Amino acid sequence: MDVDALLLSRLQFAFTIAFHIIFPSFTIGLASYLAVLEGLWLGTRNEVFKTLYLFWLKIFAISFGMGVVTGVVLSYELGANWSVFSRVSAPVIGPLFAFEVLTAFFLEASFLGIMLFGWKKVGPGLHFTATVLVAVGTLISAFWIISANSWMQHPAGFSILPNGDLIATDWFKVVFSPSFPARFAHMTLAAYLTTALVIGAASAWRLLKAGDEAESRMSLRMAIGMFAIVAPLQLLVGDISGKSVEQLQPAKLAAIEAFWDTRTEQPFHIAAWPDRELAGNRWEISIPKLGSLITGGSADAEIRGLKSFEPRDRPPVAVVFWAFRVMVGLGIAMIILGLWGAWLCWKSAPERSRPYLMAAVAMGPAGFVAVIAGWVVAEVGRQPWVIYGVLRTEDAASPLLAGQVSLSLLGFLIVYAIIFSVGVLYILRLIAEGPVAGSHELVDEDRAPGTPLAAMPEDPG
Amino acid sequence: MPGIIEPPPEPGAPLPPLWKRLAWFAGIAAASTTVVAVVAYAMKAVLPSH
Repeated sequence: MDVDALLLSRLQFAFTIAFHIIFPSFTIGLASYLAVLEGLWLGTRNEVFKTLYLFWLKIFAISFGMGVVTGVVLSYELGANWSVFSRVSAPVIGPLFAFEVLTAFFLEASFLGIMLFGWKKVGPGLHFTATVLVAVGTLISAFWIISANSWMQHPAGFSILPNGDLIATDWFKVVFSPSFPARFAHMTLAAYLTTALVIGAASAWRLLKAGDEAESRMSLRMAIGMFAIVAPLQLLVGDISGKSVEQLQPAKLAAIEAFWDTRTEQPFHIAAWPDRELAGNRWEISIPKLGSLITGGSADAEIRGLKSFEPRDRPPVAVVFWAFRVMVGLGIAMIILGLWGAWLCWKSAPERSRPYLMAAVAMGPAGFVAVIAGWVVAEVGRQPWVIYGVLRTEDAASPLLAGQVSLSLLGFLIVYAIIFSVGVLYILRLIAEGPVAGSHELVDEDRAPGTPLAAMPEDPG
Repeated sequence: MPGIIEPPPEPGAPLPPLWKRLAWFAGIAAASTTVVAVVAYAMKAVLPSH
């Protein structure tokens, strides 16, 4: 196995999965938002909810499609670039991916058709059922993917066969590995926050550009509700998830906090320059004793440092350390945005505060950045293992040449740049036009999808 | 995209009978599932087999 090919395979997977995760982390929240909007429209018959539903449904359909395309690539990569991992772990992890397709993806794909094409045909009640089923499908999808990833983080319920392959001995332990509940909650809340931030930014942008618009006012207030409730909740869930890291992956925790020595009264490093060669921090800005208090619950808690692990068992420290700080920093900014918005709602109206609207626009991409940073912490922090304590990353790759992986990586970079640019530009254009613009362009009865007239231009002459 | 999304029925517009709505519900879901299955098998077909 060529070392360069390994590095390129890792880079390729990191690039493609970071690209992919943008879409599900948005559509998980957006599907639930659509279900809420349609439910509110059915309950109140307020046209604002219907207009918002139809507007965000378009964006959901595009994002869902881009998520599927970028997700399929990952399945191929597991076989092409990580064939040893696939062979060794397939009897355990393969069924989890299969269940994801069977119980979630088919559910989403099947009922998305009704959401898009069937409102008049099936009526409001059944259409709402389809929307709810799609929202449930996105959550089931997250369940299986996080289950598979959590098993890679903390493998349980399996045995190793004489040839090195793994076999499941307790499916309950495989699906519900120790860190799974906290990680699933953390990811779901992250998806809801990501969606709320995009909706908040889109609404704020419209209010800044187009002035008072009932739909944007409503969606901004709904987004603020999510920031104010979910962002603080996410901090608590993240803390619970972090506590499980301390017990199950102490090397990752030491990398997150840049702890090198095992000791009590660990300081909390606000910023540092960790250096693996030096086995220490070149410089650090720290608060004494706070590290032990946060991670161990007491200033006297003894927390393991990286030096207690063999050098070959230590994860990259600087990347994990800084990715964690980016995630937490953005999380704190989200809490501030939520509390500020809630205060504005209580005092007057957030849509009248230009600084708040500008802050909401600026925070639009923050959810995506935080999700990617969180995944960097989870995945890079698990190194040098692909299945923690069982299979090293360097032993999991396919016997490929660096030139082969370079070509595929280059291909992905070019194709994804085109897909991403086109898709995101189209979504941004829709957002800039706003929810009201598209609501008058919907198909009429005679030009329903699938009819010959639907394929005809509006004005053939 | 706006052109292919079907809006809700107009307020007060009569709905088709329940059996017809259920048939559309099952039909669209089945058609969507079939499309996914066809695409999946087509993608599987291009994979080299060993």
